[in-house]
Amino acid sequence: MQRLPAALKLGVALAMIVGTVLAPPAWTGWFTGVAAVLALAILLSRIPLLFLGKRLLLLSPFVLGAALVNALQPSGRAQWMVLAARSALCLLTVVLVSNTTPFCDILRVLRRVQVPALLITTIALMHRYIFVLAEEAERMRRARNSRTFHRGRRLRWQTLATVVGQLFVRSSERAERIYDAMCARGWK
Amino acid sequence: MSNVIEITNLQYRYHDGTVALAGVNLRVAAGECVGLLGPNGSGKSTLLLHLNGILPEKPDGGGAVKIVGEIVGKPNLEKVRRQVGLVFQDPDDQLFCPLAAEDVAFGPQQLGLSEAEIAGRVRGALTQVGLAGFGRRATHHLSHGEKRRLCLAGVLACDPEILALDEPTSDLDPRGRREFKALLRQIPATKLMATHDLELVVEMCSRVVVLDRGAVVADGPTRELLNNEELMLAHGLERPHMLRHLHPH
Amino acid sequence: MHIPDGFIDGKTALATAALSAVGVGVALRQVKRELPPRKIPLLGLAAAFLFAAQMVNFPVAGGTSGHLVGGALVAALLGPSAAVVVVTTVLIVQCFLFADGGVMALGANIFNMAIVNSVGGYAIYRSVSRVLPGVRGRITALAFAGWCATVLASISCAGQLASSGTVPWSAAFPAMAGTHMLIGVGEGLISALVFLAIQRTRPEMIAGNGEPGQPRRRGELVRYGLLVSLGVAIFVAPFACPWPDGLERVAARLGFEHKTAQPLLHALAPDYQVPGIHWAVGATAIAGAAGSLVVFALALLLGWLLVPKRANGITGGLKDA
Repeated sequence: MQRLPAALKLGVALAMIVGTVLAPPAWTGWFTGVAAVLALAILLSRIPLLFLGKRLLLLSPFVLGAALVNALQPSGRAQWMVLAARSALCLLTVVLVSNTTPFCDILRVLRRVQVPALLITTIALMHRYIFVLAEEAERMRRARNSRTFHRGRRLRWQTLATVVGQLFVRSSERAERIYDAMCARGWK
Repeated sequence: MSNVIEITNLQYRYHDGTVALAGVNLRVAAGECVGLLGPNGSGKSTLLLHLNGILPEKPDGGGAVKIVGEIVGKPNLEKVRRQVGLVFQDPDDQLFCPLAAEDVAFGPQQLGLSEAEIAGRVRGALTQVGLAGFGRRATHHLSHGEKRRLCLAGVLACDPEILALDEPTSDLDPRGRREFKALLRQIPATKLMATHDLELVVEMCSRVVVLDRGAVVADGPTRELLNNEELMLAHGLERPHMLRHLHPH
Repeated sequence: MHIPDGFIDGKTALATAALSAVGVGVALRQVKRELPPRKIPLLGLAAAFLFAAQMVNFPVAGGTSGHLVGGALVAALLGPSAAVVVVTTVLIVQCFLFADGGVMALGANIFNMAIVNSVGGYAIYRSVSRVLPGVRGRITALAFAGWCATVLASISCAGQLASSGTVPWSAAFPAMAGTHMLIGVGEGLISALVFLAIQRTRPEMIAGNGEPGQPRRRGELVRYGLLVSLGVAIFVAPFACPWPDGLERVAARLGFEHKTAQPLLHALAPDYQVPGIHWAVGATAIAGAAGSLVVFALALLLGWLLVPKRANGITGGLKDA
């Protein structure tokens, strides 16, 4: 599963998602078909089911909200089940593709479909530095916690805001150094 | 032997007006390995950034830098940046591409080489630094030592005549340091290293330049300068232990 | 507020995708024009920053915590178009990498969170900080703008859910707007605190600091304003005003009654109403209006509390701290 070309996976995934969203509830054949494809993909990719289950939880606020609203309605339950099924299938599709495809390949496909270069560069840089910044944030948080003795919430908020502010400052400074590093290797 | 680096009366001020470089004069001949020493804030990094024209941001007439006989300026920036391979202090600043091979390929891509040539250069550079096969690895998953070697690979892929290194061995564990040192030894390019690693300087550099508060305060053979305890202490340095053992006083 | 797939139907997805594509296109062009090359990597880093910042837990009470969304904050720091690009980047990565927000719903999410939230927040921030001077004014402006941006984005989201027929407006609007009026308080507060922290240490990093006024933004904001108005007209107006009825009467008078108008209107308003809740829409609207006054007053108080008088000048004051 991991070795399939990214463009193929993305194309198929997109088709599945669009189809699942647009298919009327009567087309049960489509939904079972998609579920079958996903089940096969899950098997081939060997992604743990617990992981998938946790990702499905992302749907909960919307799905639960819709459940509440539709509960007060005659045909509500059926409508809700269709809704839940649709979102679950689409979410699983995305999770499967994203976990079996290196992000750089996804970006390459986006570049080929003419997504503007500036946006691609920004996405690539974001992806590269998410982890660096998350680590920096964690280090700052730990350093702050080591010097925090009060339990007051107001001070907590002030501290957290300072840490987040510092993170922005450091990100800005790093961005300038990255620009220098790019220039040093010939960036025009 | 001609001078590949000629710095004449270089001056530079930071945005807030502080003097970073107060008239630096420096000449480096082809093939030399020169150590650039000095306390923190002495201007070492700033000096290195002048070698390939990143500084000054705007031409301000504060002295001149000549690389392989040509003054560094807007018209020849592209050429200079290929000739001078600058390795930055923080690998995370220099490795801005998500995949290792992509990062090494960046320089050759900017040079406009063909796909085949780029691939060849990437393979060659990765092998040279001992990271063959690391092409598809994500940059942020590499160890610190591997990151530093990858930075070097990215620079070597452009085939520079001069290597300028900013604190190349800081944060490296002893093995990482040994490996990096062995790598550097094999590279024939002219080398200018800003560093606090005095042992590295003793082992690799024939000549040492000491910078303090933006000015060159000493320039001479390594052993002679580093053995001069007074000089070392006066400029925020110290006599390296290696030399103490060799010349017990 | 990341809408998953399945909650937005085909036509809404298409409409929002078109609006977002235009909006992001405008933003990219503007950014290329106004951002010096030195600052280009800042977009990517700001996106990474936003992502990391969104993960910071601000404890509220008994285990719950608030999080920054940050559209208004980034707009205040980098300008509206840069903010659109940054937030769009975050949304795209969240969608493809973490499945947070659906693929077909990406257009809607970008419209709500990158355009309505960031640009709307920025417009309010600019207007208020024009009226109230100094750092204090900016803090008040951003706190209020953060709240408004959150609420506005949630209304836009509700409109899309309703026009897709997923949830009726009479439920979506009170639910989304109501909850986000509360969430927005946290957003405004956190945005203001973070902005102040940056202003205190490195004011030069904030775009537009030290400049007397920025009339050049007017054209930019007008373009976004048109886009947002279009979105509002399509997704919110049909529910928020008696327009459908008005259109029907006009259609009847012109004899088109049973032709094109009817099917369109049926598609816009789902043909069921949640029993007994239709009063909630009016109540929410009133709460919103009253709430904005209350929040504005709170924002003024916040500015007054956080920024001592001597630190009010933008360039001066803080240097001697």
